[in-house]
Amino acid sequence: MEKLSAVAKTLTPSPIQELSFLAQRRNAINLAEGFPDFPAPSSIKDAAVSAINSDFNQYRHVQGICDLLARKMKEMHGLDVDPQTDIAICCGQTEAFASAIFASTLIAFSSYFLLKAIESLIFHARYCAESIFVKLLYVSTAIDPGDEVILFDPSFETYEGCITLAGGVPVFVALDPPHWSLDPQKLINSCTSKTKAIVVNSPQNPTGKVFTRAELEIIAKVCCTSDFLAITDEVYEHLTFDEEKHISLASLPGMQKRTIITSSLSKTYSVTGWRIGWAIAASHFASAIRNFHIRITDSAPAPFQEAALTALRSPSEYYETLRADYKWKRDYMLELLDGLGFQIEYKPQGSFFVFVELPQSCKLSDVEFVKELIEKAGVVAVPGRGFFHAKLPSEKLHRAGLDYHERYIRFAFCKSNATLATAWQKLNELVDSTGHLRLFN
Amino acid sequence: MAGVSTISTKKEAVSDGAEQSQVTQQSLQVAKRLEKFKTTIFTQMSSLAIKYGAINLGQGFPNFDGPDFVKEAAIQAIKDGKNQYARGCGVPDLNSAVAERFKKDSGLVVDPEKEVTITSGCTEAIAATMLGLINPGDEVILFAPFYDSYEATLYMAGAKIKTITLRPPDFSVPMGELRSAISKNTRAILINTPHNPTGKMFTRDELEEIASLCKENDVLVFSDEVYDKLAFEMDHISMASLPGMYERTVTMNSLGKTFSLTGWKIGWAIAPPHLTWGVRQAHSFLTFATCTPMQFAAAAALRAPDSYYEELKRDYMEKKAILVEGLMAVGFKVFPSSGTYFVVVDHTPFGQKDDIAFCEYLIKEVGVVAIPTSVFYLNPEEGKNLVRFTFCKDEDTLRCAVQRMKEKMTK
Repeated sequence: MEKLSAVAKTLTPSPIQELSFLAQRRNAINLAEGFPDFPAPSSIKDAAVSAINSDFNQYRHVQGICDLLARKMKEMHGLDVDPQTDIAICCGQTEAFASAIFASTLIAFSSYFLLKAIESLIFHARYCAESIFVKLLYVSTAIDPGDEVILFDPSFETYEGCITLAGGVPVFVALDPPHWSLDPQKLINSCTSKTKAIVVNSPQNPTGKVFTRAELEIIAKVCCTSDFLAITDEVYEHLTFDEEKHISLASLPGMQKRTIITSSLSKTYSVTGWRIGWAIAASHFASAIRNFHIRITDSAPAPFQEAALTALRSPSEYYETLRADYKWKRDYMLELLDGLGFQIEYKPQGSFFVFVELPQSCKLSDVEFVKELIEKAGVVAVPGRGFFHAKLPSEKLHRAGLDYHERYIRFAFCKSNATLATAWQKLNELVDSTGHLRLFN
Repeated sequence: MAGVSTISTKKEAVSDGAEQSQVTQQSLQVAKRLEKFKTTIFTQMSSLAIKYGAINLGQGFPNFDGPDFVKEAAIQAIKDGKNQYARGCGVPDLNSAVAERFKKDSGLVVDPEKEVTITSGCTEAIAATMLGLINPGDEVILFAPFYDSYEATLYMAGAKIKTITLRPPDFSVPMGELRSAISKNTRAILINTPHNPTGKMFTRDELEEIASLCKENDVLVFSDEVYDKLAFEMDHISMASLPGMYERTVTMNSLGKTFSLTGWKIGWAIAPPHLTWGVRQAHSFLTFATCTPMQFAAAAALRAPDSYYEELKRDYMEKKAILVEGLMAVGFKVFPSSGTYFVVVDHTPFGQKDDIAFCEYLIKEVGVVAIPTSVFYLNPEEGKNLVRFTFCKDEDTLRCAVQRMKEKMTK
């Protein structure tokens, strides 16, 4: 009696989480999952403890968060955001993104929904999976099934699943290795009459790419010309290195009214388990997102909303130190990997990931390499193929010149210096006389 | 509102001027379109309450706090550094605690790893269950009046909703109607017991009858049991515990009501592995993981001794007595409520035209908030004589509310 929804059947468990279990069983050093193994800042933890003790434990919406975020948007990006109407607090960026996707697919149901509203009947969310397309046709006459959402490839695995769950079709535009640059023509070629939105994650997971102003201008031009929505994931907004500053797509001309910004406390304040995130958008979007969120979870965890006030009031020194610490870790990781024989052609400008290619000499695929690394060195990383979406078997990838989809490894450096040092030591136990990993021969 | 043009096959460049009027037009369309997703009645009433200084017996959360031992467990978890992503389906210790508690309550033995999923509150358990297990066009049966988020979430899942109305005075299930409504086309039936807003608890006979119809027609049951520990007049029975029902039931619950910590958002769904799979898929894209420190605290909470639950019931029964006696003395027709911390009354003795008008009068002229129940029906007409009061407030607040009503409303 398989009663799963058709869409749920197509969704697969997180490969990142599965490898984590293997790593746990082997007691491996986890450079896979993207969360810190060092403590969150004490002042923020204290604020949460204080909130619990002061009875901030019932459903709530802490308006102060919105006020602080509006100020930040002005300081960082010059954006004028109304804290009363333009911000929705959610359970993490995940829920903010899900709400943004669902709310925007709802919005697109214009005339059909009006029709159904008059009849006081049901609103059908769109599912694009072919197996239910037939069912859809008989119940809906005015819907365009399969509205498209453009994503850049490689990309974080969750966006695709969320878009599919909401009835959209993810369309991937490949960024070009080794620098993950945006080819405007590829973007333009991917736009169709069904395209409704573009998702931009910057700084990016897994590559650590920070979209340049020029690239964002290209995306903005396409959005404005073709009247697309943009949904951004800016969770790594404070983790940028070298000369790169994070630029929000919403700050470009013509973009604020069509962009939904999503972000969270998680990465900036090392509290990925607190589930405090937000969406910032023009008021009618923010309102739709808020109303959607209320039906999905009703409220983000109350005491952590209080603690968010303290977090968001952190002095500028906090962010400077954060950046400096992470930059040191990035450099350490790159040096380590370079010494081991990885081909480092791209230095990540943001996030806490490095995305490196296996050298030519290495005969192993990404998955084989990661398995060997866990078993022989007790260190775990993430095989890159889960971030690419060509959905082709290996032989076809080769013919399409996309071999690299199975040649990249993502290492996270959001770990304590002690952890990184241990990883260094363990990996160096596996090297040959040249100092390179034996796995590469 | 760019990027969300009406159904069109050609995208054209728009000048700023044209865009302006397009924005206004499409704003109106958004408002209508999202009818089901407006600000909830609770938020509206709460805003009015603040404006008029009214005592809020509307929104269903306590004005007293949770037990110290649970709060301390959360604080300890934060200090111990449990602040990063938990496993998506839940912190193992909490999954175990949920399974242990479920065994105590229902007698059922479930696998915490494969059959328990932790979610951001029962609200998310419901959303994940519907999105993970319902296909667009599937028929789902609801009992009205119903908690308002059921309708909205079923819409998102694309379900066809059929409602069966529970009527005063005892809100019993009209079996004849149910038998006609349920068929091989029915995908699922949603039950909420103890029931919000009426306080009704589904009897064993009712559950058995529903169960046999479900087995006959291969229908799933989604059972929202958040108020199971607030069962006063009879024992709570989980649908999943009836013969042949576990394999087709998703049982949902949460920490919030039982431990007066509604803002912590710790809930769960218990279901056999083939149904849990769907719930977990949807959950992973809705919120990915649930608040970590609170999960550790929840595990401690669920292992509370029986004395905690006994005291909880005693306290609530005392509060209920204050409210019910008060409402009867004021002149309401009060319907018997067996569970939850809600009571539904007939307001018509006071001459207002409907429930919303009555609630507005109650806030502005008397200084007390109740919730108009028409929002809990697909057809609002069915609820216009009824309003819902809650007694999850401290005794002084309840007495004060009763006093105000006695002064302003009794002739």
